Amino acid sequence: MEHIYIQKGFKTPLAGMPDFSIIQLPDPGTIAVSAMDIPYIRPKLLVKENDLVKTGTPLFCDKRNKYIRYVSPGTGIVKHILFGKRRRLREVVIQLDKIDDFIQFETVPLQILDSTPKSELIRLLQKGGLWQCFRQFPSKDTANENHEPPMIIVSLNGNDLYSPHPQVILKNNIQNFEFGMALLNQFSNRIIVTSRKSSLDELDKLNGLTHHITHIVPDFFPAWDPGVVLHKLKTCQEENRSWCISAEHLIWIAKLLLTGKYPIKKVVTVTRSNDKKPHIIARQGSPIKDLMGGRDDKSLVTTGYFNGRSAQTTSHIGFFETTLNSIKDNQEEEMFGFIRPGFNKPTVSKSFLSCLIREPKELDCNIHGEERACINCGYCTKICPVDLMPNFIMKALSSDDIEDALSFGLLDCCKCGLCSYTCPSKIELTKILTHGMNTHYKDKE
Amino acid sequence: MNPLRKLFDISEKHFTGSGNLALLAPLFDATKTFFFFPSPKNKHAPFVRDNLDLKRYMSLVIISLLPVLLFGIYNTGVQAGLAKGEMYPFIQAFLIGARYVVPIIIVTYAVGFFWEILFASIRKHKISEGLLVTGLLFPLTLPATIPLWQVALGISFGVVIGKEVFGGTGRNILNPALTGRAFLFFSYPVSMSGDVWIAAKNTVDGVSGATALSIMAPEGETITTALGDSGFTLSNLFLGFVPGSIGETSTLCCLIGAIFLIITRIANYRIIMGGILGLIFTSIIVYLIPGGSDSWINAGPLYHLCAGGFLFGISFMATDPVSAPGTNPGRWIFGFLIGFLTIIIRVANPAFVEGVMLAILFMNVFAPLLDHVVLKHAVSKRIPNA
Repeated sequence: MEHIYIQKGFKTPLAGMPDFSIIQLPDPGTIAVSAMDIPYIRPKLLVKENDLVKTGTPLFCDKRNKYIRYVSPGTGIVKHILFGKRRRLREVVIQLDKIDDFIQFETVPLQILDSTPKSELIRLLQKGGLWQCFRQFPSKDTANENHEPPMIIVSLNGNDLYSPHPQVILKNNIQNFEFGMALLNQFSNRIIVTSRKSSLDELDKLNGLTHHITHIVPDFFPAWDPGVVLHKLKTCQEENRSWCISAEHLIWIAKLLLTGKYPIKKVVTVTRSNDKKPHIIARQGSPIKDLMGGRDDKSLVTTGYFNGRSAQTTSHIGFFETTLNSIKDNQEEEMFGFIRPGFNKPTVSKSFLSCLIREPKELDCNIHGEERACINCGYCTKICPVDLMPNFIMKALSSDDIEDALSFGLLDCCKCGLCSYTCPSKIELTKILTHGMNTHYKDKE
Repeated sequence: MNPLRKLFDISEKHFTGSGNLALLAPLFDATKTFFFFPSPKNKHAPFVRDNLDLKRYMSLVIISLLPVLLFGIYNTGVQAGLAKGEMYPFIQAFLIGARYVVPIIIVTYAVGFFWEILFASIRKHKISEGLLVTGLLFPLTLPATIPLWQVALGISFGVVIGKEVFGGTGRNILNPALTGRAFLFFSYPVSMSGDVWIAAKNTVDGVSGATALSIMAPEGETITTALGDSGFTLSNLFLGFVPGSIGETSTLCCLIGAIFLIITRIANYRIIMGGILGLIFTSIIVYLIPGGSDSWINAGPLYHLCAGGFLFGISFMATDPVSAPGTNPGRWIFGFLIGFLTIIIRVANPAFVEGVMLAILFMNVFAPLLDHVVLKHAVSKRIPNA
C-alpha cells in the first residue's frame, strides 16, 4: 500500500457523520430512475406510461450509444414519465408490485470469467444496464467500450464527505468485490484501489480485502475523489483517459454477472444537522421523502454537500447518488454579520475565531455574502486539490480563451466544488469551470 | 422586529423598480447590507459556502489599520506641538491630531463614495467594499497639513483613473490609493514634499520639520549620527515619533498591522517577507559599496526599514491582492523587487527622497507579467490534458 500525498482540501471537521449501524428500509410504493444525475445523457425513452415493466426492463437508453441502457430496478407499472424544462427527461416513475419479477440475464461464473472474451462481458453489462458504472476521464462520461483504459481507479469512498462508509458497502460482499476485481483485470493492466486512511481499521476486519487496496489517501474531502487520485498518479498524457468506478457499482456488476439478476438494493446515508443516523439499505430509485423521513421545510435537500444536486423531496434518488443531506437554512440577516467574531462560523480561512476551535462544525446552505468581482486573493488556488488556479481559468474562460484554460489544466478539474466554497467574492467558480469543461467536451463529441 | 430593519423595509420601495430614488439603489443596497448581512440560499453546487466574504475581508484590513491610524492621529498632535515648541499631554495631542486627520478621512470617504456610487449607479452593479480600504489607506499616506481640496482631488484621481476607468474593483492595474497619492505627489510637490510641516508654516500653526529620508549628513559626519542629531534615532523611527505622512511613521504599528494581516491570511505573507528581504539585501549591498557615508547609502538595513513609509507600503499597499500578482512565486519576486527598488530610488535618485510609492506602482505594472511568466512555467510542468 502506498500513500498518496495530498495537501489541499477541505479540512474543517464536520458534525453529523453517519454511524456504522445499518437499517433495511421496506420497499416503497413507487420507485424511479432519474435522469437528473446522469451527466451528458441524451435519453431516448423505451417505455410508455402504463407499460408493465419487470425488474431489469430497459426504461431509456442514451441516444449517443443505444446500447447504454438504464433499466428498471423494480417490477410494476410505469406510472409517470416526468419532464423538466425544454422537455428534458427528469424521471420515469414506477408503481411497484408486491413481488419482483426479474428478467434473467446470462450469468458468468468466476471459473469462466478469465476465458470470457472482453466484448462478451461488455455486451452483458450493457444489456444488464450496468455498463454506465464505468466512467471515463476527463469528463466522467460513460466509458467508451472500444477504449483500453491505461488505469481503472476504484474508489471505496463516495463523492461526498457523508457518503456511505466502505465497510458497510463491502460487508457480506467480499466475494462480489473479488469477482469485480477479477473482471477489472480483463479491462486494464493497472487497477488502483484507494481508501481513506481512517477507513483502514474497519476494513481490516473484513477478511481478504486489504490486499486489494493499492493506495491510501488522506482523510479530508476530496482526497479520495478518483479525479484527485488520477491527478496525483498520472505520469503521461495517455493516462488522462483512465476510467473510474465506485466500489458499490463494482459489487453490483458482480451480482449481475453471478446471479443474472439486476441488483436492486443500494446503501444510502441520510444526514441532518447534528444528527447521527445509521446507513440505510434501500431499493434503488427510492423516493427521497421515504429516505429522509420527516424534514423541516426550510432546509435544502441535496445529494452531496459539495458536488451533488439540489433535490426536491418529491423526486427519487439517482443511480449515481448515495447520500442525502438536509442542510439547514439560516435565513436571518444578521446585524453587522460581517464583523462579528464568529465563534460558530465554520471557515477554511483564518478570519473567524472559529478557526481556533477544533470541534466539529455544522454548515448551512447560505451563501454568506454577495457576489463581487474577483480580487485575485488566491483562496481558490490554496484549496484546489488538483493544483488548478481556478481564478485564472475563470478569467480565461470569460474571455473565451479555451486554449489558455485548457493549458492551465481545466480538464483536470474534478468538480469538487471547493473553489466556489471558499471564494470570498462568492463567484460561482465551479459552475463556470464545469460549464467550460462541458462545452469543450460537447464540441469535441 | 428590529426598528432599523423596519426602516429599511419601509424605504425599500423608493429605491427599487420604479421608485423615485431608483437611481440610488446601489447606495441603499450598500447601507442595508452594511447593517444586515445578506445570506440567501445557494442555488448551485456546492450548496455550502464559507463564511468569509469580501465585506469581512476588507473590514479586517480596516482593523489592521487601526493601530496605524490611532498612532498617526496622536503623532500628528505631538509633531504639531513640537513644531510650536510645546509638549502636549496625551489627550490634547490626540485631539489636536484628530483635528488634522479626521477631516482628511471624512473628505476622502465622502468624495470616494460619491464616485463609487456614481459609477455603480451608471453601471448598475453593487458598491464594492474595496473603497472602504482605499478610503482609509489614502489619507494615511498624506501629510497631515495637506489642504482638503487636494485630498478631494487626489482621491478622485485615485478612484476614477486608478480604478473605475479599468472597469472597477478587480480590474485595476494600479493600487487606487497609491495612484491618488502619486497624482498629488507630482502635481503639488510643495504640500507633498519630505518637509511636511514646512508646508503648513504660513497657514496653520507655523510648524516645520523634515522627514528622516531628506536628511543629508554634513561633511565628515556619518548619516546615522546626523540622523540622531536631528531627532531621528533608531528608536524614534521605530516607534514613530517623527514627522512624516500620517500613517507611515510608526514602524511598530505597521508591524502590528502586518502581523495581524498575515495571521488572518488576508494579506499574503510572501509579499511582505519578500519585500523586507529585498530591502535588507539591497541595503546591505549598497552599504558595502565604498563611499557615500554621508548619505542614506550608508544607513544600513535597520534605518532603511524604520525610516520612511516602506513598512506601511509593503504591508498595506503592496498586499492589495488586485494589483499584486496572483501566483506565489510571483508574489515573492514582486515583494523582493519592491524592496530592491525602494532602496535604489532612495539612494540613487536625488529627485525622490522616498521610493516605496514609486516602487510599488512600478511593480504593480509588472505584476501581470510576473504572473504570465510563472503561469507559463507552471503550465510546462503540468501533464497536458486537452
